[in-house]
Amino acid sequence: MSVSRISALAAIALSGALALSACASENNGAQPGAGSTGAGGTSAGAGDCFSGDLKAEGSSAQKNAIDEAIKAYQTACADATIDYQPTGSGAGIKQFIAKQVDFAGSDSSLKTKPKDGVIESDAAKQACGSEAWNLPMVTGPIAIAYNVKGVDKLVLNAEVAAKIFDGKITTWNDPAIAALNKGVTLPSTPIKVFFRSDESGTTENFTKYLKAAAPGAWSYETGKKWTGKGEGKEKSAGVATATKGQDGGITYVELSYAQQNQLPMAQIDTGAGPVELTAESAGKTVATAEQTGTGNDLALKIDYATKEAGAYPIVLVTYEIVCSKYADAETGKKVKAFLKSFASDETQKGLEAKGYAPLPAEVAAKVKTAVDAIS
Amino acid sequence: MSTVTESRGPADGVTPDTTPPGGKGGRDVLREMDNPHRVRAVKDVVAKVVMWFAFALAMIPLVWILTTVVAKGVHMLGSATWWTGNQRNINSDDFGGGARHAIEGTLEMVGMTTLIAVPIGIMTAVYLVEYGRGGLARAISFMVDILSGIPSIVAGLFIYAVVVTTFGLRQSGFAASLALVLLMIPVIVRSTEEMLKLVPNELREASYALGVPKWVTVVKVVLRTAFSGIITGVLLGVARVMGETAPLLILAPYTKNFQRDLFNGNFPTLPMMINQDRGDLALPAAAERMWGAALTLILLVLLLNVIGRVVAHFNAVKK
Repeated sequence: MSVSRISALAAIALSGALALSACASENNGAQPGAGSTGAGGTSAGAGDCFSGDLKAEGSSAQKNAIDEAIKAYQTACADATIDYQPTGSGAGIKQFIAKQVDFAGSDSSLKTKPKDGVIESDAAKQACGSEAWNLPMVTGPIAIAYNVKGVDKLVLNAEVAAKIFDGKITTWNDPAIAALNKGVTLPSTPIKVFFRSDESGTTENFTKYLKAAAPGAWSYETGKKWTGKGEGKEKSAGVATATKGQDGGITYVELSYAQQNQLPMAQIDTGAGPVELTAESAGKTVATAEQTGTGNDLALKIDYATKEAGAYPIVLVTYEIVCSKYADAETGKKVKAFLKSFASDETQKGLEAKGYAPLPAEVAAKVKTAVDAIS
Repeated sequence: MSTVTESRGPADGVTPDTTPPGGKGGRDVLREMDNPHRVRAVKDVVAKVVMWFAFALAMIPLVWILTTVVAKGVHMLGSATWWTGNQRNINSDDFGGGARHAIEGTLEMVGMTTLIAVPIGIMTAVYLVEYGRGGLARAISFMVDILSGIPSIVAGLFIYAVVVTTFGLRQSGFAASLALVLLMIPVIVRSTEEMLKLVPNELREASYALGVPKWVTVVKVVLRTAFSGIITGVLLGVARVMGETAPLLILAPYTKNFQRDLFNGNFPTLPMMINQDRGDLALPAAAERMWGAALTLILLVLLLNVIGRVVAHFNAVKK
């Protein structure tokens, strides 16, 4: 009996250990890297460090950029924790409006016109209790990435691209493609279009480009949901992976994902000759954009039909959507400190290696002013 | 397979086969062929073959999954930082880091779930077996059945509706724990109920005969006798919820940092770590992390099952 009683005790201890390990470890703050509980204290390096955590969610197009920015900030500030969930621009804005996250990442500015009965900018304003601002933070060039055996260089223009993504051109050796690619042997492989099945700012910017630059060939509405043909895949990584695995595949995806997956990218002929996608050629397009927001709201309107020499026209500007004045002043300070670091020249420069284009100087200056005004 | 005592002779309309014996099969089969009941023997062989085939078929996915996960994930488990580090400052295309944050997070979240679900589940089962009579007991039993049929994502949405939409709170690890509680309770109630029913009535009656009050009988005799079975049931429940992902997607966003606060902020868990890296599967760094996390999760569930068996073994009531 005594043996079984001892083993009963052991059993209780064992089964309880699972539950208790949780409680026990909570008091154990000495774990290496346990950043979220430490007391204040700014480390050397970046100017403003906060301690505690910051939640953000949204565009997967800026994931690789914001991951870099977070890494840079967290490296300098050991007590800070920033989490970014790359769930898509639509989801990010919804979460921001539902007050689930401190700021949202989005590939398009808050809508000022009603959509599904909701005016995003008004809803965000209500959630914040103050104006919500769109702060352009990163330029993300959108690549038309493809995977055709034996074709390393491909030129497309808006019209041909529109027809491909609308399913009107179905094979790679179509005369319309051949006409733009003299001297390239195109196979008769069928074209397989992959699109983003989730709501995405990339889709929105890409369709905006098609509509603006090839109004005759693209008759659909522009929006976060894809309206063309093809097969849907989830998120940027999904379309990039699918294209990589499919001979004859083509998709629109941010430069960073195309680079990560080593997919060749089409050059775009805007009318001023084929333009290769580089940080510089994309930056040229952003520099010509017009500001549609007022004051510190820096929503931009991009001229997708630009014919400027050397300007790559399919770009998206990804924004951080923030409250101008946070209900909780502490949160405001955190957002400000992080975005300040994000907008800084060093961080922006580092993004180039990740497939993004730094903000053009005049836009960057405005963003810095706006970030300083967050409270 | 013991069909020997059943209907003798070829009574069920089956014509006996009159082919002379010899020429095929092993000696054992031959001897049975001489037997007027050879049809039965043939049925036996056919049933055996079908059974073994079905067994092999069922094993294929299991073996396949295990070999894939082990082959792709095992080298991560041997890396220096896997059991000690987290993913802070490790972007999707960076190698290195560990899964300690997610392992601890999963254990903590499931621990909290167990802490809430086990008392409720066991007490419900005690009520149903020892006390409940009539309408209320039937209603509760019926509700438990319904609860066990609830898909995990619905449990997640329900908690989201209560915690986030109604009370205006933020997503948190604790909210996810609550959703897991909903999934765990029916498992525990059902398994505990079965175990309590197995306790012989003589034990209860002997206890009453000694003048022991009913509640003491329940605690010291009935629960004590059923202890090992109850523990097994609890561990089954834990295993059931440990890899659950749907409620976490809705309620507990992932963080790459150490985070032990269930009530504030994002929360690291193994299923969410897998989900996060699944998005970047094309990158070798993310892919190996994903397989590593998947293997770790399997091992964790396995470990709990082993602990459960050991505990049950040492606490089995001696006859």
